[in-house]
Order: sequence, then structure tokens, then C-alpha cells
Amino acid sequence: MNAALLSLFAPLAGGLLLVLWRPARAGLALGVALVSLLAAAAALHQVADGTRQWLEVGGWAPPLAIRLQLTPLSALLLLFTAGLHLLVAVYAARRPHAIGGADFWPLACLLHAALAALWLSADLFNLYVTLELLGLAAVALVALAGEKAQRPALDYLLLSLAGSLAYLLGVAILYGRYGVLDLFLLGEQATADAPTRLALLLMTLGLMLKGALWPLHLWLPAAHSSAPAAVSALLSALVVKGPLYILWLLWTRLAPTELAVQAGPLLAGAGALALLAGGWAALRTPLLKSLVAYSTVAQLGYALLALGLAMHWQEPRLEAALWLFVVAHGLAKVSMFLAAGELQHTLGGKRVVTLKGASQTLPVTMFTFVTAGVSLIGLPPSGGFLAKWLLLQPLLERPQHWGWALAVVLGTLMSAAYVFRVVAHGFDRARPQPPQVRPDRFGQWLTLLPALLVFGLALIGERMLPWLEGVSR
Amino acid sequence: MSTPLFWLGVGCVLWLLGLHGLLTLRNAVRRIIAINLMGSGVFLVMVALAIRERPGDPVLVALVVTGLVVAVSATALALRLSGQLARARKGDA
Repeated sequence: MNAALLSLFAPLAGGLLLVLWRPARAGLALGVALVSLLAAAAALHQVADGTRQWLEVGGWAPPLAIRLQLTPLSALLLLFTAGLHLLVAVYAARRPHAIGGADFWPLACLLHAALAALWLSADLFNLYVTLELLGLAAVALVALAGEKAQRPALDYLLLSLAGSLAYLLGVAILYGRYGVLDLFLLGEQATADAPTRLALLLMTLGLMLKGALWPLHLWLPAAHSSAPAAVSALLSALVVKGPLYILWLLWTRLAPTELAVQAGPLLAGAGALALLAGGWAALRTPLLKSLVAYSTVAQLGYALLALGLAMHWQEPRLEAALWLFVVAHGLAKVSMFLAAGELQHTLGGKRVVTLKGASQTLPVTMFTFVTAGVSLIGLPPSGGFLAKWLLLQPLLERPQHWGWALAVVLGTLMSAAYVFRVVAHGFDRARPQPPQVRPDRFGQWLTLLPALLVFGLALIGERMLPWLEGVSR
Repeated sequence: MSTPLFWLGVGCVLWLLGLHGLLTLRNAVRRIIAINLMGSGVFLVMVALAIRERPGDPVLVALVVTGLVVAVSATALALRLSGQLARARKGDA
């Protein structure tokens, strides 16, 4: 538990320090991310065999206690968060145009701390506070992009607050009904009565709004595409996964099984529609960064589909698929957003058509985009493929589940189409777009790093899949 | 009607009013007020639940106090953003 706490407090202390202390911000932020990464790795090592550790804050015993829990899954998410922050920080230190100002560093550290606290919380109200911290840090990061981002940032803030308040009303109802806030104590007591149903409905809608899950995703493309590139990468890869984690906790740990079985198809249906609607919007949009942002909407559809079906069939393999999706999508999306930012900065245009000839002018960045795209499509041997494989296995076993498999296949075709839309422009060398500034070769290679890690996931897949199935139970 | 039930009802009505305002209004400051109305609704529900017993439930009071701190900081950020937005628009005109 101590290692996990270090992984949480390093970015928190770092963030507060960076607010006060301005020189050499990038170096300190890098150090913080590295410390947090090592601590998260140590925490994962401690609980890798499936044990679970608790910390009762202040020494109070339940039911009054605010408990923190360290499970193998939360340790994995801590490691994932710290790793992505490190990758983005390395790139951002090299390419200052991607961060929108020196205030990026303290805010990114605070965002990291909020996420780490979210993964470790086991208390409904504590989760609310971490959600709000996450939302406020994310909005401030979006606003770094300057004037054009202020309207999307304000919309994002207000909708995010509305989502939190729906969640909070649900928490109040649950507390009024059961008199405890601890997730696991609630899980033991919860029955499928009207207040519980209402509370779960409110909390689910609030979290779907915050997590940009279809049909409550409308704020996401504007906010994610107007933010600076490094911020978009963090938002798409990490921030939307926080509410998803709480949704998963609610429905698998708290909700009575009977309710989870009933609600499963609704969430899975929303996921399937997200795949199609997000994919379609990504195909149609003229702007490169909003294409990548809509692809996040579509990819979250896979996660929601996996969650809904896992609830409906009580199938642990699908929960493993959910977390593999989260990790694979996070890594691929960081690469994709950084590459999009790099292309946009160097070629000096926001539109997809300005990428003409990018395979010649920016070969490494184009290669990054394609590599990340391959994982999003789910071609082997990538992390995205593993996740999709795990999702499809239970779907293909019984003929009556083939409808869901069809949705997954259609979603895959859509994602292939929007990735190839970018690639086709990149290889159109007839009239290449001349670079506006000199391409930075090292920066281009840094964007490739996360995409290579997705392929690394495939290498350890054989050992990782049974482990994930074991720990997400 | 008992007192907690009355305030519970008022809280829910405030929450719904705030939600309606957020979805229908376009002016930034009005929307910020609508969000605060939603927040007050939730806090009122919590207080109504707390006074069901005598003396009141301290856990819920603690939640309301924490929630207020969060609401104040979020409102500050929202006001700052809307102020910048208004200034930018004035600059354009």
C-alpha cells in the first residue's frame, strides 16, 4: 500500500510545488512521473498474485472509515496512468508547442494525482471528490489552448459539473437508504428496491456524461480537439477512463446482480451505437483532431459494450476485455493525438486534406499514426487485437449472440475506414503540402513510443490474459 | 407532511429546475447559476436526510461542507472562464 500511496503523493506534491516554483518545471514534472511510475510498478508487484490491500484513513474502522483499496487492477491502472504521463511529459519537454504554456506542468501533475486517487478509492463520496478534481484539472488544461478553447472548456466544465451533481444526488439517495458510503459494505446490503434503482440510474447517467459515453458524448469532440496536443492525448487516453472505472465498480461491486443483469443490455446497446455513431462522425469530419476525438467516442463504445455484456452474462472474460481495451486504447490514442498535433504543427493546417504527401514530408509521424491506427482497428499483433479477440470469444460461442458480434465487426470496419482516410491523404504525393516549419525528427520518434508499447502488449499477451481474467473477478 | 420530506421535495425540485436551466439557457452566467441551483438541490436533499433523526447525522453534514468547497472552486473556475470569454467577444466587436 505504501508504494501505491507514493505513486499518488508524488504527483500531488509535485503539482503543488510546481504551482509555486516556476524554473525548470519540465524537469521536475518528469522526475515526478518517473517516481510515480516506479512506485506503481512496486505496488503492482506486491499485489500481482491477486491479493487485496486496504488502508483505513485516520485509523477509523468501517462503516465510518474512508477506505482506500489496492487491488491488482487498481495497481495496473496506476502503472498505466504514470506510464502515459511519463511518455507525454517526455514528448512535451521536447516539443513546447504541444502544451500551450508552462502552466501545463503543475496541472498535468494534479490531473495525475486525481486519477491515482480515483483508482485507489473505495468510498462513494471520495470517488465524487476525485471525479471533481479530475474534471477541474482537465478543464483548466483545455483552457490552456487560449481563446478558441474557452467556449469548449466552459461547456465541458458545466456538463461535467452536471454529471457530478447527478452522481452526487445518487450518492445522497444511497446513503439515505443504507446509511453507509463504503462501496463494499453497500454491495453486501444493496437490494433491488426503488431508491436503489433511482440512485443507480442517476449515477450511471452522471458518469456517462462525464465519461463521454454515447449518447452523452457531445461535449467531447469540441473539448478534446481544441485542447493543445499533449492535453488532448491525456484527456482521451486517461480522463474519460476515470468515470468508466467508477461505472464498472458500481455495477459489478455495488449493484445487486439482478439489476446488473437487467441494465446490461441497455449499456451494451449504447456501446454498440457509440461504435457506429462515433465511427460515422469520424469518417465525415473535415478536421484531423476531431477525427481522432470522434474515434475516442467510438472506441469507448467497445469498452461500454464489454461492460454491458459482462454485467448481463456475469462473464469475467468480458471484464478482462474491458480493461485490456482501456490500456490498449490509452496507449494508441496518446500516440495518435501526439502525431496529429505534430502533423498539424508542421504542416500548418487543421484539415485532413492538408496531410497530402505527409508520408514524404513527415514519414515517422505518419508511421506513428498508422501504427496507432492499426491497434485501434484491432489488427494483429497489437493490444487492440488482443482486446477484441477477448471480447469476440464469448460472443461467437452462441449463435444468439452473433448480433453483438456483428456490431463489433461493423465498428471495426468503420475504424479501418477512418484510419485509411488519413493514410490515403498521406500517400497522395501528387501535390504534397510543404512543411511550414522544419520537422523535428526526434520529436517524431517520441510520438511513436506509446504505439510501439501497444505492440509490446501483444508480446506479453499469453501471460497477461489469464492474469487479467483472474484479477478482474 | 413531515419536515424532512418537505425539504427533500424542495431539494429535488431545485435540482430539476437547475438541470432544466442548464439545458435551455445559453447565457454563460445564467448557466453557472443553474449549476449552482442543482448543487443547492443536492445539498438540501442531504440536509433533509440528515434531520430525519435527532441529533442530525454528522456524516451528511460533513458531506455537505465538502461539497460546498468543491462547488465554490468549480464556480470560481467557471466564472473566470466566462469572464475571459466575454472579454474576448468584446475584443472582437
